Amino acid sequence: MTTKKIKKEGIAKLLTEWGQEFTVFVPSREEGVAKWSEWDGKGSGFLDWYRNTVVPPKALFLPPMETMFSFQKEGDGYHTELPPAAEKGWLVFGIRPCDAKALAVLDMTFKDAYQDPYYLTNRQSGLLVGLVCTSPCDSCFCTSLGGGPDDMANVDLMLTQIGDQFLMEAVTDKGSKLMAKTKLAQAATKANETKAKKAKELARSKVTRKIAVDGISEKFRASFEDKDYWEGVSAKCISCGICTFLCPTCYCFNISDELLKKHGERFRSWDSCAFPLYTKMPMENPREEKWRRLRQKVCHKYEFYPYSFEVIACTGCGRCIRLCPVNWDITQVLSNLPDQEQVRLET
Amino acid sequence: MKVGGMEQRLRREAAALLEQGKVDLIIGFADGSLKFTTSPLITSDKDDASRLVINPFIANNLSVFLTGVKGRVGIVAKGCDSRSIVSLLQDNKLAREDVFIIGVPCSGIIDLTKVENLVGRDRDEIDDIVRDGDKVTVTVAGKASEFAARDVLFDNCLACELPTPQEYDLLLGEPTPAADDESKAASQEKINRFKAMSPDERWQFWQNEFSRCIRCYACRNVCPACFCERCFVEEAEPTWVQPIPRWQDNLIFQITRNIHVAGRCTDCGECERACPVNIPLRSLSREMYDIVDGLFSYQAGRDKEAPPLLACYEATDVVDFIR
Repeated sequence: MTTKKIKKEGIAKLLTEWGQEFTVFVPSREEGVAKWSEWDGKGSGFLDWYRNTVVPPKALFLPPMETMFSFQKEGDGYHTELPPAAEKGWLVFGIRPCDAKALAVLDMTFKDAYQDPYYLTNRQSGLLVGLVCTSPCDSCFCTSLGGGPDDMANVDLMLTQIGDQFLMEAVTDKGSKLMAKTKLAQAATKANETKAKKAKELARSKVTRKIAVDGISEKFRASFEDKDYWEGVSAKCISCGICTFLCPTCYCFNISDELLKKHGERFRSWDSCAFPLYTKMPMENPREEKWRRLRQKVCHKYEFYPYSFEVIACTGCGRCIRLCPVNWDITQVLSNLPDQEQVRLET
Repeated sequence: MKVGGMEQRLRREAAALLEQGKVDLIIGFADGSLKFTTSPLITSDKDDASRLVINPFIANNLSVFLTGVKGRVGIVAKGCDSRSIVSLLQDNKLAREDVFIIGVPCSGIIDLTKVENLVGRDRDEIDDIVRDGDKVTVTVAGKASEFAARDVLFDNCLACELPTPQEYDLLLGEPTPAADDESKAASQEKINRFKAMSPDERWQFWQNEFSRCIRCYACRNVCPACFCERCFVEEAEPTWVQPIPRWQDNLIFQITRNIHVAGRCTDCGECERACPVNIPLRSLSREMYDIVDGLFSYQAGRDKEAPPLLACYEATDVVDFIR
């Protein structure tokens, strides 16, 4: 693996350089809410405050709302038009390992039986430049899910802050090429690498929230019908969409049409299994009760997704814990799952 | 009575209520899983009573759970929460005999965002936050800084005229004083910011704010006054607003919500607190609260015998459209 280093004040120049070839996205802040925006060319101030964003980077590839196509009534039929394609590839700078892993999880769904062009086009043309998470939050539990603040598995290039500079490590061929091209970075020394290694170890030690995921599928299967358990843990849930909308791996969406006179658009927008309307059908609603909806959310991540794709669809980013208005904590719900012997089933 | 004393008494009383079968459920606060956070505790187990807490972080308005549970409920209520309960009684969403109100005289809830801004650190990087009367001591990396309570309480607490529940079955301590003029003035800062704008600027301001809305409906779902079984935003025929988070639809949703809860909103501040993208929702709801008070001399949840403002009319009403 090749490594290089770059001074912190060189980052803005690096982004300018990359901006020639890519559309660059970085963390930004609006009224205290951290999200991802196209880089405004005004420096790298985000490096001083950024821990992780409220709105996950999935919003770049699966936005809260997007136009799938527009349509115009012409004679007896309709003329449809696709939204314009992006002119450049996308480069996401500073993505955290948990969120990069989440995109890898989302990829499985969006390029499964159906190849979703809306999600995949920008995702496949893009690059992820990761940033080792040196100050994880107290809600983070990434290390329990096979990841970690220094996990390089899902990025093309990884940066680690060491004092006033960053160590750059190429992970993929795309990342190697990107790193090779720039003259702004210099060769890293053995001492730089040692320092980065220490920073990564320190970062890992800061993730103190832990859950045990071994055998969790069996526990879910055993407790699936344990209404008392699920009713108990869902009592304080208010069924809002925060934990699903802002989850980096939740991908459910709604499709709606809007027609104004002769012109219309078809939209795709985020939807949530927390909403009763989500499963409402003409005759019935299989998840009318709150506990069934909440069980669905947890099971989708920890039981159904592993069944389909052999990976847990949770990366331990902790957003659902820190953003929940009632402090509903998925790690408590997972840790307290009843064992086979403890399950209470109605007979 | 000190907070610790209130907490001990609450635990005793809650356990006794459950044990004696006077209530089927207790709804209160327990410690949360994150620093400086509490979490609703809804339990029928008397052993859980020992987990109940009262501290300056009991932010939630627990009355939102009342319409969703069965049986007789003992509920921990601050001043604003008890007013929400009264408002639910007025709207016949609840029977008085089904609720046992455990009143907490409130001294205001600490707004962690204000603390974060003052010390320049995130909440999980703060060691300790201690409230003592008019002062709040915040410790970061072993260094303590003292702030006036006024600088770190939620805006709605700074404006609170009835911090002590007026309607209760049990009051846990001595009544606490209403907000003074200085606090009230401080509570208006954010609202005054947009009131000073021209209509065009104001339109631009709300357009920006509602562009961030992701339509998670947390503001609606934490609101005890939003008790409709089916919200107008979920109607498909006709589609009042599109389900997409376009700023225009987001704004229409919130404005309509505000009109629906006019005369029911007790300024508990939950909508703004729950919003994950920091939209200053209380600026709208408090303004509506003041308009309702100004036009009808009506403050939600003050009088359980009063007919609900928007669900009644009188032949002597000034405006004659109803006749």
